[in-house]
Amino acid sequence: MTDPVTDPVTDLVLLLLTAFAVWTGWRVFRVDSMVRASFSLMLSFMAVGAIGLLLSAPYIGIATVFMMAVEMMVMAIFMVMFMMNPAGLNPMMMVHQHGVSIAAGLAAFLGLGTAILLSAPPSDPVPPQARVVAQLGHELLGPSMLIFETAGVTLLATMVGAVILSSRQGRHGAADEGSRPPGLTAGGAPAGRTPGEEGGPGHHHHHGGHG
Amino acid sequence: MTLTIVLLGAAALIGLGLYGALSQQSFVMLMMGLELMLNGALLATIGFWALALGGMPEGQLLAIIVMAVMAVEMAIGFALIVAVYRKRQADMTESLGTLKH
Amino acid sequence: MTGLLVLAVLATLLAGACFAVLLDRAQPALVAEFFRARVETEAPDRLNRDLAPAWYLALAAIGLSVVPFAPGLALIDSPAGIVIWGSCEALIVVTIFLHGWAPNAPFPLIGAYRYAALALPVMLPSMFVLIAAALPAESLSLVAIVDSQREIWNVIRQPLGLPLFLVVALALTLRGPMDYADGADIATGTSAEESGAARATWYLARAAMLVSVSALAATVFLGGPLGPLLPGPVWLWLKTAALMALTAWLGNHVARPPPGRMLTLLWILLLPLSFLHLAISGVLAL
Repeated sequence: MTDPVTDPVTDLVLLLLTAFAVWTGWRVFRVDSMVRASFSLMLSFMAVGAIGLLLSAPYIGIATVFMMAVEMMVMAIFMVMFMMNPAGLNPMMMVHQHGVSIAAGLAAFLGLGTAILLSAPPSDPVPPQARVVAQLGHELLGPSMLIFETAGVTLLATMVGAVILSSRQGRHGAADEGSRPPGLTAGGAPAGRTPGEEGGPGHHHHHGGHG
Repeated sequence: MTLTIVLLGAAALIGLGLYGALSQQSFVMLMMGLELMLNGALLATIGFWALALGGMPEGQLLAIIVMAVMAVEMAIGFALIVAVYRKRQADMTESLGTLKH
Repeated sequence: MTGLLVLAVLATLLAGACFAVLLDRAQPALVAEFFRARVETEAPDRLNRDLAPAWYLALAAIGLSVVPFAPGLALIDSPAGIVIWGSCEALIVVTIFLHGWAPNAPFPLIGAYRYAALALPVMLPSMFVLIAAALPAESLSLVAIVDSQREIWNVIRQPLGLPLFLVVALALTLRGPMDYADGADIATGTSAEESGAARATWYLARAAMLVSVSALAATVFLGGPLGPLLPGPVWLWLKTAALMALTAWLGNHVARPPPGRMLTLLWILLLPLSFLHLAISGVLAL
């Protein structure tokens, strides 16, 4: 059995997958539609999952694909609830402090990259015959059980917190009481319909419709 | 060499994620930036575990924890977006200007 | 051996898809549809529109390839076989969503969003049921799960498992009570704007998906290739065919509730039931 770590073909595939993960990650902020953005992010995660598979971490790799497919589906659903342009095949660029963000991103990449290139990490690959999934199971329910259980309790707290935060009923009345949409211009009148106004949708919004 | 490629990829993902989290106005897009940073962390974890730790099970444990963090971030993030949307009817960071003063 | 297994997977998928087409009460004329001209929509997402049927078909093939055809013999014999199937399920939901989103038209989009909102809660019982089946086997590998059923099948040991998984099967194959994506009430939803070869492939992929889901259910709950006298693959085919017929019958005879009521049913009834199922199976496996 060849060592998967020194095999040049594995190296090449790994390089391509890493490049794909970074490219799809970059596409997330460059595509027009949020559906494309979220599924581009999913592709980035899937590439990382495939790298996990390649580097002999089958459970982590496949679980990443599973988790991210579900998460991005959730993201797509939320997006249609809240975005102005849900199906969104129109150009979309909504950014602030753009220059600062680019600088921060570059600085993070260059700093981490320099650290990686200057340091010499130990080379100690996974032994090929290791039963990594069983090892993970024994670790989770053995020495690291407290950490695992803490993660479980954290997730439970998350569920409770998410339900409370997103609930419409609150101690001081409905959460959306007195809610007003933001103005179309800074400091302008609220967008959308005002409460007193009668008439169905389309009164103010003649967008041409379908066809 | 392999580990360097993987780690550089992870660094690029973290940089991209940081850019997205700082620049996007929409909360959902902002969260995609956070997820991308965690993606980089996951990639680095897998790389270190597979190539520099000799398959210590704790490395896989850390990857599981990263995934749990993603789940928590998504759930609380979306709950916060729902709460903001109920009050402001918008999915924009600018709609939270009243928190400034 | 690998070549033989690839052949077995493909042959099973093809023969099973033909059987699935026969089972359906109202299947469109697939062959005639194949040569029909294509209808264009305004500003579609071409990549996903063209590829969604192919992805659906490919996911059915990947799902089937983790199923052991004889004891100890699967094309993808992974220590995390059940998680591979779980990833397939999640990606199936994504594929169906993209299939509806890509044409950029109202009915497909309604079908896609409606399906995504209902399919996500279905994923949860599915995972709990499969994890419960992995408990007596003490492994996530499907080969080990088959081995653990030598004395008693999971359908008897974990009686709630198969009924819960049938709901998942109906959702993944877009049938009857769970057909929120392609339902007749929204003019066949995600495939409403589709015609010609793409539509035929989509319906073929739905038939192939029925084979894949049924084969997995047969493996996890009915002992898969285990059985007396006949060779392993024959037993698997017989059990798969029986489950396909059962799923198709349920799809044809159970009414579809409105989406809101189904959502309540899924979260209030099915999810606690699957928790209960997991708890009981865990205690029994101790």
